[in-house]
Amino acid sequence: MAFTITIPGIVRIVIVKTPDEVVAINDAGVVGRSLSGRGGLVNGSIAAKLAVFRTPDGDIWPAFRDRLDPLRAAHQAALETALSDVEPLLRRIAPEIAELGGYVRGGTAPRSTGIIVQQATGRLFFDDYTANEASYDAARTLQTWSSAGPLRAFWIRRSGALQASLDRIMDLSRGNMACAHATALAMANILRSIELMRELARQGDNLAKIAPQEALVQTLRAPERVVREARDGGRVGQVRLCARSVVVLAVESARRQRSDPGFAFFAGAWNQCPAHSIVPALLADVWRAARTETRERT
Amino acid sequence: MSRENDGFVFHHDLLGRFLDVVYRVVNFFVRWDRLQMLLGAVNLSVFRDRLRAHNLHHTGYGIPTSGGWAAGDERWRSADGSFNSLDHPRMGMAGARFGRNFPLPECVPDSDDALLDPSPRVISRELLARRTFIPATTLNLLAAAWIQFETHNWFSHGVPGPGNEFKIPLQPNDDWPEPVDGCMQIRRTVKDETPRETWLGATPTFQNLNSHWWDAGQIYGSDHKRQMQIRSGADGKIEVGDDGMLPADPERPGADLTGFNDNWWVGLSLLHNLFAREHNVICEALKVRYPAWNDEELFQRARLITAALIAKIHTVEWTPGILAHPALDFAMHANWSGIPFRVVQAVLGKNSEAAYGIIGSSADQHSAPYAMTEEFTAVYRLHPLVPDEMNVRQLGAAGQERCELVNMQGRSSREFMEKHGFSNLLYSFGTAHPGAIRLYNYPNFLRQFRKDGQPLLDMAALDIMRDRERGVPRYNRFRELVGKGRVTTFEEITSIPGAADKMREIYKGDVDRVDLLVGLLAEDLPDGFGFSDTAFRIFILMASRRLKSDRFFTDDYRAEVYTEFGLDWIRNNGLKSVLLRHVPQLGPALEGVNNGFAPWNVL
Repeated sequence: MAFTITIPGIVRIVIVKTPDEVVAINDAGVVGRSLSGRGGLVNGSIAAKLAVFRTPDGDIWPAFRDRLDPLRAAHQAALETALSDVEPLLRRIAPEIAELGGYVRGGTAPRSTGIIVQQATGRLFFDDYTANEASYDAARTLQTWSSAGPLRAFWIRRSGALQASLDRIMDLSRGNMACAHATALAMANILRSIELMRELARQGDNLAKIAPQEALVQTLRAPERVVREARDGGRVGQVRLCARSVVVLAVESARRQRSDPGFAFFAGAWNQCPAHSIVPALLADVWRAARTETRERT
Repeated sequence: MSRENDGFVFHHDLLGRFLDVVYRVVNFFVRWDRLQMLLGAVNLSVFRDRLRAHNLHHTGYGIPTSGGWAAGDERWRSADGSFNSLDHPRMGMAGARFGRNFPLPECVPDSDDALLDPSPRVISRELLARRTFIPATTLNLLAAAWIQFETHNWFSHGVPGPGNEFKIPLQPNDDWPEPVDGCMQIRRTVKDETPRETWLGATPTFQNLNSHWWDAGQIYGSDHKRQMQIRSGADGKIEVGDDGMLPADPERPGADLTGFNDNWWVGLSLLHNLFAREHNVICEALKVRYPAWNDEELFQRARLITAALIAKIHTVEWTPGILAHPALDFAMHANWSGIPFRVVQAVLGKNSEAAYGIIGSSADQHSAPYAMTEEFTAVYRLHPLVPDEMNVRQLGAAGQERCELVNMQGRSSREFMEKHGFSNLLYSFGTAHPGAIRLYNYPNFLRQFRKDGQPLLDMAALDIMRDRERGVPRYNRFRELVGKGRVTTFEEITSIPGAADKMREIYKGDVDRVDLLVGLLAEDLPDGFGFSDTAFRIFILMASRRLKSDRFFTDDYRAEVYTEFGLDWIRNNGLKSVLLRHVPQLGPALEGVNNGFAPWNVL
């Protein structure tokens, strides 16, 4: 059941939580990824936040490109191809997987898990990608920016941290916007899954008992929310949308109501995540690495 | 401002910011058209500044280079419009892309199913088709011909070819004579094959085959080859036949040989012949004053003067004629020559376009490189101006002959002109009314229209499809984006009897789906207006922009370029004087007529 908040001039927002509604709205022509900032102050603030995810030349990060954008389809297909050959990619990031395995097992890593995840993600694009404290800070700044309240957002921008983070992420990504998106924003979902794996492993003999695929199902996390805008009014399934509503798809909440892991990646939809194969394989390998090391130790 | 707009930024001045706030409050209580005349005119300039700041969007030039510099490009108009801006030579040249009046993500077409919904053919039949002719009684038929004459200067998307047509399913009771598999087919707009910039997103782009500038390209063409075809090669003149009329175009049967002669009909022929004569008279006058000038110099200077005269006629005669509101009349004259108050002029200063007019001020592109826009072409869909029939009269003779417009166009045009004569047809157009730009007034002959090299066309359905395929927002969002706010009911759009109910039925109760053209034709009009206030918002912006962006109307509107004679010619002439110069027999018909586009006297 969708939840609508409308305060004229302030906010016009629809929050969608059920899987069917998420799928229907994601597919609706009247709902797009571009945010105009119209509809109220809050809508404007959300749009302004997402508007920063562009290259210095004005190029749009792939995850913010609209459905009918020919470059979105091209980027998506190219990336899907690049990330579909899973085995070589997993071999490329085997050291990071081993490190993460150790962390899941309960060990302490010499560096932040976030850095490891960011490096693993980056190496899916460039085999010499090297993350560090500063690059991970940049990613965290951008993640915080996306969900910060007005005062915090103001400070992040005013202090120059926002631009510095964007520049750092783009530099490390060598202008590859898919890599920038993965190493700045999407990596947060992998990191949450790793943390959940560690918690799962801690409980009893789960690590030995639970198979990698099962662990994956239990720990895989989708983005908490995905933001869209209804350009015009209309009805999508049971959801009534007013023109210029920001539509928040609570993807993670909806995913929990579905057993299908593909839901986290909008599998089969126009915006299917190109990492829909590699991320589950990576997580399963991390669990496998944790188990392997446990066995080796015992 | 993003780099998408090529670095152009709109600069607000302090007075502008103040007036913006004041008028936001004022307009909360009172619409601009209900204000006292001067207050209303200032309100229009406030609208224009808002639109200049937010409603100009670049889509890339679409052409890699401007072509070569030619001698004289610094002091007269190049054939293809390049080098009008010396800093940005590609700007506005033939082949450059149409721009946009809205942010690019707003200009994305619906996906395939929604694109055909509701059926444009149903809209054509049930909302647009003329039932009985509704005349625009404050205008004469030259006003209809004039706007087509002008749009042929400003833009052309090219002639669409076959392949990948839209297939519009026909209803069982539809009498469309040439169905293909139960559908009416509409060819798509010519595709822009130039490399797309990555920041364009999903917004489609299209090329304007004509020069975007207000350069009388309809007479002179938009490339050097065409220009040479229409010239006589002597004394700068345009080629005319022994009878003083333009020669036939050997490649387009029925049409005159002129710069741009698509969609040819008698109305266009009248105006092309009139201004070809005007050009030649100007050449003669220039030759007397500058006997050393060669053919090229005479031609180019006469072109500058003729183009400016046409722009002036459009600004201070056609526009106030069709939008007969005192504030607008004042504002359009102010656009051309400034306000008539010396004290206010002194206060605002020499650089103020409001005080002294746009003409002769500094060129300014505001927030984007100059280009015609898709939204501009959309609001110029004024086909209801065209009647299905008209009375053809003869000067000096009583009686009239009822003629169908379908027999006055295409291959029949020249024959019709020859049969009835230039003077008689001008007189007939001056004494006939165009149609009102309203629902239920779309000419029926255009709803089943045969054009050379094209399948049978329903122009009304085609107009609807063109806006949709080019990603022009539908009516309600269009309103919002020009600063008018959305409507929530069909009754808020129109009070035309029965129209709201019919629209509700066709659009299944969804007011956001109403097509732009339908909304514009349905909308209740301000007093004196011949078309909708929503369309007018784009006019406010673009009518000024055509002048303000153009070097030859601003920085180079000076005697060194136009000659003193040329500036005087532009200052002292208008449509009426042009008509009387070339067809003095029209004197009695024009006696007492202040605006050449108002109905003339029937003798």
